[in-house]
Amino acid sequence: MRTFLVRGSRIFAAALAGIGSVAFVSLAGAQQNGITPSEISIGAIGALTGPLAFIGAPGRDSMSLAFDEINAKGGVCGRKLRLGFEHASSPAESIAAVKKLVEQDKVFILVLASGSTGAAAAADYVRQAGVPTYNLYGSTPIIRNPFAENVFHGAVVPVEVSAAALISMFHDDGYRPKKFGILAGTYAFPQATLKAAQDILRQKGADFAVEQFDIGARDFTSQLVSLQRRGIDSVLVLGSFSEAGFAIKQAREMGLANVRWVVDGSAVSTAIIPILGNADGIRGYYNAPAFPGQTPATREFEARLSKHLGSLPQGRPSVYDLIGYGSGYVVAEAIKATNCELTRANLINAWSNLKDAGPTKLGGLDITFPESYTPTDHQGVYRIGAAIVKGGQWQVYRVIDRP
Amino acid sequence: MLGQLGFVVLAGIKFGVLYALAALGLVVVHKATKTVNFAHGAFAMLGAFASFLMVVSWQWPYWAAYVAIPLVIGLAAAAIELVILRRLRQADMFTVVIATVFLGIAISEGFRLTYNTELLAVPSLFSGPPFILAGVIVTRDTAWVIGGALLTALACIALFGYGRLGRGMRAMAANMRGAQLCGYSVDGVYMLAWFLGGVLAGATGVFIAPVTGVSVDLSIAIITAGFVAGVIGGFDSPRGAIVGGLLLGLAESLSAAYVSSAMKSCISFLLLFLVLMWRPQGLFPERSGRRV
Repeated sequence: MRTFLVRGSRIFAAALAGIGSVAFVSLAGAQQNGITPSEISIGAIGALTGPLAFIGAPGRDSMSLAFDEINAKGGVCGRKLRLGFEHASSPAESIAAVKKLVEQDKVFILVLASGSTGAAAAADYVRQAGVPTYNLYGSTPIIRNPFAENVFHGAVVPVEVSAAALISMFHDDGYRPKKFGILAGTYAFPQATLKAAQDILRQKGADFAVEQFDIGARDFTSQLVSLQRRGIDSVLVLGSFSEAGFAIKQAREMGLANVRWVVDGSAVSTAIIPILGNADGIRGYYNAPAFPGQTPATREFEARLSKHLGSLPQGRPSVYDLIGYGSGYVVAEAIKATNCELTRANLINAWSNLKDAGPTKLGGLDITFPESYTPTDHQGVYRIGAAIVKGGQWQVYRVIDRP
Repeated sequence: MLGQLGFVVLAGIKFGVLYALAALGLVVVHKATKTVNFAHGAFAMLGAFASFLMVVSWQWPYWAAYVAIPLVIGLAAAAIELVILRRLRQADMFTVVIATVFLGIAISEGFRLTYNTELLAVPSLFSGPPFILAGVIVTRDTAWVIGGALLTALACIALFGYGRLGRGMRAMAANMRGAQLCGYSVDGVYMLAWFLGGVLAGATGVFIAPVTGVSVDLSIAIITAGFVAGVIGGFDSPRGAIVGGLLLGLAESLSAAYVSSAMKSCISFLLLFLVLMWRPQGLFPERSGRRV
């Protein structure tokens, strides 16, 4: 009897140890890919301060709004979505933040809400790490090429697409540009679009001149004088709303009249209007089907975001808010599409086959272009809105599909 | 061609007078207290932000901003001297300088946390038709910024050079013990210098707000330009600060237009190094001779 008890207790202890080690291993495994029984960890990077905060801060705020809405309805696969956001502005900060999220925090999905600068810096690392990565705002080719099966690109189209859309807007309403000028920032995002725009203009045999400015520039006199000297009648501004706003304001002060201004997507913001006073006629592309305030859904989004943040900063919601919100829902839909078999390989496979993903399928607001992926094409959206300021308000006047 | 040169020169002067006003505030504090106030850019940013509040948010008349904001920022600077820096002065001057660096950072970050936005736009004071001078379009706002900022700077120089206030500050700078024996109060003169520096920072903020908008980065932009202009002109010379500011503005504008737009950022540091290497006392130092 005693022997039996001793043997039994040994078997029990061994079984307990076995169960314990299996539980430990599975728990460790679960923690490794950012999954716990109650949460799915999603890590994001982006600039929350500095000149690029107009991209990162809306990304954080609107994605967290989407996750709050999804979590309020019970989450995904019985788990809440938890967003961890790391500030990263420079390339070095972006690499450090991505490594922290992947190696230390062990997130399930990595979101690049940083624009082209951060996306370009993190590109090699995320390809090697193999973590499912969602590039929200980076249009740079560095994050897109070479193709990586774990990297997905959302509402922001490749620079070739946005550059083609920008050039096409110069010809809207029968306008015939004679000589193009391009005012481009020296940082990653404008430079990527600049290269694509130059290629298109060269192919068209168009006459054009390029002038550049540093990030956060406020005085564009020298660049504008140079463009004026060359008899430019159509100017493409590749930079933020503040850069574009002050450039156009100074151009008007210098008497650069009868010029068609087309601005980059990052300058298509309500915040450019108070800089200029009268901004009517300025065009630019928009990565969403409607501008905030233009449709009932975007008005409802503005109200929800305002409630979420307490108050809305000037210029918000911006396109980065709309994209951040829509992307939050795409993340949830991709997780759901794994049939709750939550491994990174399953997620990559499910994401690669998503069709028309967006907020509406999970009860969110219809404010972004739906995203579709294939195993060989991880660009979710090829559509872009052409926007114009009319009566002091931005509005999307046509949707361009694969320009 | 001349018209285009005119535009470039005009832009250089416009930014140059703003740099000069920023440099003058640094020089006034330095001349009286031997302290480089690295929080000066943050004070100017507060002035710019206050003009956004008064003109855009509260819809007060613009003139009220030009009158009230320099005084309010001046009083705030004097209060900081009274509450924080006066105690630190008992350690050594280096402690005070370091304190101003962190004070500037604290003000900027406080603004960033309470007003989370990239840029606040402030409208121009004047919106009428521009003047045309020798083929160069001069907007009313440009004329006001150049004229107003220059007049403010000249008024400050007059006050510093000929008024009783300035005499006390200059006496303190020349010989603190001697000034005390002549009846000047160290605490009073220091507070006055900080008040005057704050007034100039507030004025810089109000003048620059419609030109560049209001952002956290404005703090760094102003202290950098003001510091470089001060070094070029001579850090003890109010007149040198004005000339240094104008030289810097013109050098930036002309180099960007006729060399390369990329030169705009590096020209200020190039000038700084050249002046420090060949004429560390600045191009226009105050004469230090004395009557015997």
